[in-house]
Formats: sequence, structure tokens, C-alpha cells
Amino acid sequence: MKPAPFEYHAPTTLDEALDILASTGADAAPLAGGQSLTPLMNLRLARPAHIVDINRIGGLDHLGQDNGRLRVGALVRHADMERSSVVREHLPVVATVVPLIGYPAIRHRGTVVGSLAHADPAAEWPSLALALDAEITLVRTGSQRQVAAEGFFTTTLTTIKEPDELLTEVSFRTDFDACGFYEFARRHGDFAIIAAVVALELEGDSIADARIALAGAADRPLRVNEAEDAIRGEPLTAETAVRAGEVAREAVEPLEDIHGSSDYRRDLVEVAVDRAMKRAVNGS
Amino acid sequence: MTTEAQAPRFFGARVKRVEDPRFLIGGGRFVDDVDMTGMLHACFVRSVEARARITSVDVAEAEKMPGVVKVFTGHDFSGSEVRCVSAYEGFQVSGYPALAEVEAKFNGEAVAMVVAEDPYQAEDAAGRVFVDYEPLPPVIDAEKALLDDSPLVHDGWKGNAFVERRYESPGFDDAKQSAKHSVSGRFVMARHSGIPLETRAAIGDYDKGTRMLTLWTTTQIPYLIRTGLADAIGFPENRIRVISPDVGGGFGVKAQLYPEEMACSLASIDLGRPVKWVEDRREHLLTAHHAREHTHEATLYFDDEGIVEALEAKIVVNMGPYSVFPWTATMDTGMAMGILPGPYKIKHYSVRGYPVATNKAPYGAYRGVSRPAACFTIERLMDQVARHRGLDPAEVRRRNYVTGDDYPYRSAGGLEYDSGSLVESQDLLLEQVDYSGLRRWQQEEREKGRLIGIGLGAYTEQTAHATKEFVQRGVPIVFGYETSTLRLDPNGKLVINSSIHNHGQGLETTLGQMAADALGIDIADVRVEYGDTSQAAYGSGTFASRSAVLAGGAARRASEQLRDQLARVAGHNLEASPEDIEFESGRVFVAGTPDRGYDFDQLCRMVYHRPELVPEGQPPILEATVAYDAPPGTGTFTNATQIAVVEVDPGTGGIEILRYAIVEDCGPMINPMVVEGQIFGGIAQGIGSAIYEELVYDDDGHLLTTTFMDYMLPGTTEVPHIEVFHLETPSPFTVGGIKGMGEGGAIAPGAVIAGAVEDALAPMGPVVVDQIPLTPERVRGYVDSARREASR
Amino acid sequence: MRDITLQVNGTEITRSVNPRRLLVDFLRHDLRLTGTHVGCEHGVCGACTVLFDGESVRACIMFAVQADGHHVETVESLADDPDHLHPIQQAFWEHHGLQCGFCTPGMLLATKELLAENPSPEEAEIRAALAGNICRCTGYVHIVESVKAAAEAMIAQGGSR
Repeated sequence: MKPAPFEYHAPTTLDEALDILASTGADAAPLAGGQSLTPLMNLRLARPAHIVDINRIGGLDHLGQDNGRLRVGALVRHADMERSSVVREHLPVVATVVPLIGYPAIRHRGTVVGSLAHADPAAEWPSLALALDAEITLVRTGSQRQVAAEGFFTTTLTTIKEPDELLTEVSFRTDFDACGFYEFARRHGDFAIIAAVVALELEGDSIADARIALAGAADRPLRVNEAEDAIRGEPLTAETAVRAGEVAREAVEPLEDIHGSSDYRRDLVEVAVDRAMKRAVNGS
Repeated sequence: MTTEAQAPRFFGARVKRVEDPRFLIGGGRFVDDVDMTGMLHACFVRSVEARARITSVDVAEAEKMPGVVKVFTGHDFSGSEVRCVSAYEGFQVSGYPALAEVEAKFNGEAVAMVVAEDPYQAEDAAGRVFVDYEPLPPVIDAEKALLDDSPLVHDGWKGNAFVERRYESPGFDDAKQSAKHSVSGRFVMARHSGIPLETRAAIGDYDKGTRMLTLWTTTQIPYLIRTGLADAIGFPENRIRVISPDVGGGFGVKAQLYPEEMACSLASIDLGRPVKWVEDRREHLLTAHHAREHTHEATLYFDDEGIVEALEAKIVVNMGPYSVFPWTATMDTGMAMGILPGPYKIKHYSVRGYPVATNKAPYGAYRGVSRPAACFTIERLMDQVARHRGLDPAEVRRRNYVTGDDYPYRSAGGLEYDSGSLVESQDLLLEQVDYSGLRRWQQEEREKGRLIGIGLGAYTEQTAHATKEFVQRGVPIVFGYETSTLRLDPNGKLVINSSIHNHGQGLETTLGQMAADALGIDIADVRVEYGDTSQAAYGSGTFASRSAVLAGGAARRASEQLRDQLARVAGHNLEASPEDIEFESGRVFVAGTPDRGYDFDQLCRMVYHRPELVPEGQPPILEATVAYDAPPGTGTFTNATQIAVVEVDPGTGGIEILRYAIVEDCGPMINPMVVEGQIFGGIAQGIGSAIYEELVYDDDGHLLTTTFMDYMLPGTTEVPHIEVFHLETPSPFTVGGIKGMGEGGAIAPGAVIAGAVEDALAPMGPVVVDQIPLTPERVRGYVDSARREASR
Repeated sequence: MRDITLQVNGTEITRSVNPRRLLVDFLRHDLRLTGTHVGCEHGVCGACTVLFDGESVRACIMFAVQADGHHVETVESLADDPDHLHPIQQAFWEHHGLQCGFCTPGMLLATKELLAENPSPEEAEIRAALAGNICRCTGYVHIVESVKAAAEAMIAQGGSR
């Protein structure tokens, strides 16, 4: 399983990379971690004529707290998130998620932003981005734009990124009062069959606002507005968690594949949302 | 000889393996590590359909691509095929071609072969070979394939069964009619396979000058490959050399003559250059032979005490389209029929077996070979008997086991159980895990709402079966013996040349352990060679848990012959009787007078360089070849009992294994460390069978699980710590009383974990777990149905 | 073709490579360092594990060109003399941590990395760290024992190498 031929570019500045993308357009794939792209290339399911390796571009590996948001540059690896005290302090839910992503070797290379660009609906980062109100920065020669995670993912492995754009950063809101994550996978490190992320704003003991996102339930990460609505104003208790699960279950129409039928995924949605909520309740 | 009086120094010891250093420093030599001048690389074009007429193969564009030397099609290799014919009456014959020419019969079957200067270029060109397929109705489900209206996998066949086998013991009907109770079930084990970490690889290397064909290949059976290849491609066998160097796992999957081995040989003969093929993982999942897909319908008939009197069963195995070499398509079915009664004294037995041709990938041997499915069925039924009679599963088994007094025991399946410790093994296991304490703990946890289950599984495993057994099986090659040639050199160092192969079993070490003690030498002075057919004498290879017994037995016997040869020389020169010569710690001396003797190496040199000191009539060389067929040829039976404690998550259907333990009895152990390694490895694969592994096809026969993202292998976080305890009940027949045991660990986990899950859900409601793997979705389904049953 | 210069096991290497050449093929066939193995070519099995600037990576899903200017260590960097093995290799030998040997190079490097970060890991930590290295032969029990023994040996010898 060897990849098809391609032209290789290793720009050392962002401008250089953008110029290349501007001229190669849809025939090019940016390469950051490569942990998702290269397997697809080896399987010849992806055959980009150009590879734009961004690993030598400076200034893309920033990771820091800034004005209520955690800013993560395009070359920040999963492992960097795992080791970061800034992440542990400001976004502790992420600290619980990263060890579940693949294995150490994958985490040393794979990037947060790369995971978002790849847009696998069963991956952890896209659903985290939805729940944590992420903003994604896309740049092209001469301009840039910021897109909320809401509008970023269109369908399986597809986003609104244009061929001549590069994702340079994602930022996550860090001012939630309680967050929880629950994932069910066949084996340690696998993609989730279903994962749920819950990010809550509290007022006293009740839920002022809720963001509940799912991985694996659809062709893209999914916000479950019905469940969010059902728990707004409710106390932060185990009973509310159960209710969130029940509503989420009825609200989704999951896809099916060999790892799970639609009905089973529906069962898992209920379980995952309930358990993610309970982790938020318990402050983990 | 009095060497038996000393405690053996190496037999039974936890000796570090002599083969390890090269693997530890990255120095192992696997087929893909082999490089040759002028070597070309092959990439196969494979059928995208499960069944299709091949109406054209257009190679014109591919042949012009960079680096491409030639593209072969089925037409080029026409006539080269494997035909493995069983002696069973009515067996229907199939031919497994090097490249499919007329019809592709499974998704992935090789249709063309690109040969290029490098593997990347070969793969590029393979994508530019255009094959026209005319799809035909595929036959995918084995039970449907047996129906009268099913399409035929092979034109001209009567129905799709390779053969139909039946057996009924005398008096069965009466036993069935008079039985008080019965339990029945339909038990399904999904298709999966050994999936070694190293994929297959082959290098065909034909030398036009010497007219010698050398085939480097990842195989467990080098001699059988040599003969099979000679037959299949019509090449003189004495001009074929098969070399199987280091191999990264076999498990039975690499014990078969494959089309790719034939194709690489034929391509090299045509081109006069070495042609290498390294299988990729997708190809492996598609085409390296599959295993395990059994559907059993079975009924146990029993009395009020839970004593089983009769077993009735129908066995259907989904074999893919071809009868593979050397097993034939009857192997799994026949073995399942034989072992289904398991470790129990079931007097009456009626069974029908159907190996069925389908358009899934071909099917071969995988660790345990039908016994995992047979164990699953009988153990699940025994648990049902237990429930029916209100007995503990351990008690029901105890009442039915073959016991010490019964041996040798001829089972209802026609197997001769030579020895065993079934009751003792179970007792020891339950004692070691504190079974009653475990049940009490389970009850406490149940009261807290946890779904904790305990599952038990026992088996007796036929190992080292030889001539008599394989004659009964109607196979064209009776795997009756293994051969060891031992040679001492003038420096007193020993080389053991063996017909087996070693790919993880530790045979490079254990064969040395078998031979060193008889000669009183150190294992460091023994070197074991295997895997090159130009070196050793003929044998079958490594499979069926036979190598330690047969090759080890041969090595031991040959070492005894060498001892005799040396003793005669020593006695001749020391004026003593050979019977009075002792061999200990590198000295050869007259019993009682250690000063009257030789250093071992000194004596060996004497034989070679001082032939005038060798007794007349004795050749002045130190060499012995023994082909050993362990009597009585029907195998020696290992047994084990396994237990698992699991917790089921009722929300996700996930299974966590909290504890896993086994008591195993394989008789005296050559190297306990090696034995334990085999046990742990077998159990890990069994856990894969029980929970994770399945080769999934769609209704049109396309394989869906083509990467490790979809085919799940258990890792360090899925396989728990495993506790192992040993009993040693020697075989009355084999050299040293040793038994085989390599497959055993893999036999029971399916049954054990299914039993544990069933037990875990029992408080919720009655559930019968009759299908594996226990994917979380399947378990969640059992949870839901238990709840539904309970609320009625 | 691209010219790359990299450190491999402490030696500087310069070669010309096709950009699509996978790092694992470069190591195995261009440099004849055949200790690193190929098991899946999609990053799951761990047989191709090498250290890249000191961190474990999958060589089967990296291109050789990406290694330009970097430092790669393969299993051959641990020890090449069976009489003077690295404590991790020695521990695997003594505790039967290998059977066919195919997964072993990846296991050894993953273990080296684990013990550098966590010199005295608990069993659960060992299993989590090695979860990405599949072994089909051993059932992992002896591998875990080998890692524990290696940890003890390295602590006794005073720190990791």
C-alpha cells in the first residue's frame, strides 16, 4: 500500500505556503501531522497531486490562554495538549480527552487543527470544537477569516475550507463552569462509536446555558439543541443528566456502519450524553 | 545407559531462548529483509467482485508504465493450480489457480500480476490494468448455499457442499428417545483469522543457468510447499529449494500453498530474475486464508442428574471456493465432528458435517482448527444443562468429565483420549481462584447493581496426532512424522536439523533442550537449523501442536543414537562396555571412574580424525536421522480449564475482563516459560475471537473489514493479566511423556466469555449467548432482551 | 527527487529520495536497517515504531522527506551486540517478552520512551503506553513483565540510557 506520486513542497513561511496553495488549488493537501492523511494516501483513497508540508513554518505552534480563549496553533500536537499546564488549568476537560486519542506515537505527530481540517465525524476534536464554541482561523494569500465551529463542518471529511486556504489556528472558550466528556470505543485509542461533550454555564446550581455535542452520530459533529433546550434552567443533578440523555436519544437519527447500527448508536447517544453530563456534575 | 539417573539439566528448565538475540537487536531476517541482485517486485491485481466471469484483462497501458517489466494474466499461468483432493467418498474437486483466468471466485482473488523494478511502480501500474468483470450471483451464506435453489459455486458440481459427512453411533436413537431432558441451540462463530503481524511474502528466484528454482516464502511447512509447488506448476522437485527464514507469526495462516507463491515462482522462471511480493495488510485481510466460520445446531440429551447421554449436531462451515493445500476443504468440518463431544463421557453421538463452497475467501487452518467452535457449542450447551438442572456449571462438568479411570478413552467422536486430568484441573483452578469466594463476591457486587459474570470452559486438545489419525481424515498427505537430523562436529558442537519450522514457538531452544541432556552437553553448544529444504530431511512442518512432540521426539531419539555411537567408541577405547559409559557435564567416562574417560569434544574429534580408533564396522562420523511418529498415531491429549470474571456495562454493551485464569496440563514441559507464552498468546487470540474479531462481508460478497480500523485486534488494554497454573499428566506413549499445547489457549475463550456474559446478565433475565464475537452492540441486544423477558 | 540529510542512529546520512517514499521503506531498503518492520501501513499496529527527535512515531505514515534535518533512532540504536544488550533488551530476553520477534523492535522503542518519561510505571500505565503496539504471539503478559523488569534494572543501574 504505497501512495500515488505527488509533488512535494516544504515552505518555510506561511506566505510561501499560501502562494503554493493559491496556484495548486484543489490538487493540493496540506500536511501537518499526517496521521489521518498519510494512511488514506497509502490506501490510495486520497491522491493529492501536491503535498504542502507545513511543518517547517514558524509561528504556528503557539498554545496559550488569551482573553477567555485557549488559542491553539496549527502545529500544536495532541501530545503538546496532553503535556500543557495551560490546558490543564483552563480547559481541564481537554486534559481528560487527549489520552484517548490513538496512542503516544499518533499523539506526537497528529495536530488539533489537523483533526479539525480532516473532519472525521467520529474524531474527538470536531465535537470538542462544537461544544467549546471554537473559532477556526483560515487564511489565504492576502486575507483571513474566522469561522465558528458551527458552520465549519459540512459532511464526512468535508469542511468549508477552500482549496487555497490553510487553517492556522483554533481557539476554544475556556470560561465554562462545568464540562464533561464521555466516549465509547471498541478498544482503547480507537475512534469513538459515539462520544458526547457537554459544556455548561451555571447560574447558582442551575444550568444557564448548555452546549452538547456528539461525535459518531452523524456525518459531522452534531449539536443536540433539543437536549440543550431541555436542560436549560434545570438543576445540575444526576436526574438532569438522565433527562438530557433521553432527549438526545430521541433527537438524533444516527448513521450506521459495521461498528454500529442506527438503533445501537441511538442507545449509545443516550448513555454518552447521560455520562458526560454526570461527569460535568461531578466536576471531573 | 544410566543418564536417566541424573536429573535432566535442560529438560524442564526455564531456559532463555537462544533465538532471541537476533530479534532484540533488529537482526532477524524476514523474507522482506532479503535483497537480491536484479530483484523485481510484484503487485497483484485483484477481483473487485465476489464472483464474476473475467471477460478481458487489458494490460497494454500498465506494461508501458515506468519500471514495469511485464504484466502476467491467468492465461500466462494457465494450468498451474492447486488441487487438494480428500479421500472421502463424494468429495467434489476444485482447482485453485495461480491467477484466475475464467472466473474470479472471491473478492480479492488474483487476476493479474504486475512485475516492476520497485514496489511503488508496480502498484501504480496495477491501478492501470483494466479488467472486465461480468458479475455472477455470488454465494455468500453457507446455509443458503446448501439449499436446492442456490447458485453453484462450481459448474458441474452437485450442490455446494465439498462433501457430506455423517456419523451415528450404534444405539443413538434409543438413547435419544429415552432421554429425560434436552437442551438445544444454534451456535454461530463469525469468520475471522490468525492475522499474524508479518503479512505474507515470497521471492521466486529462478536461475536459468542451474535451472534451480529457489522460493523464499513465509511458510510454516517448507517441505510440503516444495512438493505442492512441484505438483502445481509441474516443476521437478529436486530442482526446487524452499527457504523459510524468520517468519513473523503463522498460526496456521502460513501453512498453505498460496497462488502468490506459485505466481512468483512462475514469473521468475519466465523472466529469469528474482520476483518478490510483499503482501499489504488490505490484501492480507482479503485473501490470506480465513477461518472459524462455523454454524452448529446441536442438542444435548441428559438425565435428572445432568449426566449427558447423547449429543446430536449439524455442523456447517463456510469454506470459500477452493480446497486448499495441504488440508483439503474437509479439515475443519471433520475435526469439529470428532471433537464436538469435548472432554465429556457422552456415549451416543449423531452428527452431520457440511464443508460448504462459497464465494468468500478460501478457508484454512487457524490455531485450534474448528476446536474453538466445537468448544463454544458444547460448553454453551453444558451451561444450559446446568441451568436446567439448577446446578453450578462447574458441578455439571465435573459429573460428565472423562476421568482418570476411564483412560485410554475412546470418545464418541472416534478419538482416543490417551490421558488427562480434567477433574483435577478444574478442581485446582477453582481452588486457585477461590471459586466459592468469587461467587460470594459476585453476589455482593450484584447487590450494588454491577453486572458481574463468571464463565467456565474446559477442553481436551488433540495434539501431535500423526499417521493413524490423518489416514482417518482422508487427507492426501498423511502428516505422520517429523524428522530430525543431528550431527556432531569434530569440536563436539551439535547441529540439529529439523523438518519443522519455528516462528515464535521457541523450537530453536526446546529442540536443543530435548537433545542436550542425553549427551551431557550444554545447550549453548547446540545449534538448531530449520526452514531450508536443501538441509534437513523431509517432514511436514509446524502446525497442530505437534512440533515439540514429533520433532522433539525425533531429536531426542537421534541424540540417543549419537550417544550410542559415542559410547561404542569410548567403550572400545576404554575397554569398557558401552552400557557402562556415562555422559555428564561435557565428560564421557566409565561409570564410577570419572578419570577414565574423555572430554566430550575430545571424543568427537577422535571419531572424525582418528578413524582407526573407531570400532570396525562403525562409520567414523557422528550423525543420526530419526523420523518420529508418536504412537499410537491418534494423538496425545492435553487438557485445560479456563475461567473468566467479567463485568458488563448494560448501557454500552462493553465487556471488561476483570480476571482470567487457566489450569493447563500438557504433561511434562520442556520449557515452562515457552509453554506459558503459548498459553497467553492463545488466550489473547481467543479473546479476540470472543469480543473483537470478525471478517465482515456485505450481501454481495465484498469484504468490508479491509484495514485494522475495521478488523479489531486486541492490544495490551484489551487482554488482561492471565494467571496460569500447571498440572503434568504425562502421555503414556510419547518420548518424555510430552504433549503438544500450542493451540490450546485459543480454544476456550469464546465459550468462557460467552458464559461469563450470560452469567452477568442472568439477574436481569434469561439470556442465551450463542454467537460471537460479543460486539458491544450484540451484548447491548442481550441486555435489552433480558430486560424484555424479565418484564413479561 | 529530493535531497535529504538526517541523523540516523547518531550518524549523518545524505540521500536523494522520491518524496512519496515512506520513512519505513527508506530505513529498511535504502539504509538496510531492516529491524524496523511493516505490519499495516496505516499507523495502527506499531511494528514500524521509531523515535523521531526522541519521540515515538509511526514510520509507515511518514515520508522520508519529512525527516530532513531531524534525528531518527531505530531499534539498531539500542545495542548491536548480543553480549552487551540494553537493559530493556536484556529484560525482554529474560522474561520471554518476544516469540516471533516481529513486533519486538516497536515494543522496545515504545518501552524505552515509556521508561524515560515514567521510570517506575504501574501495570496499567505500561499497558496504556503500549496499547498502540500490537503483538499477535505473546498475549502481552510476558511483555508487561519484561517492562517491569527493565524498569527495575534501569533504576538499579542509576537512570535511563
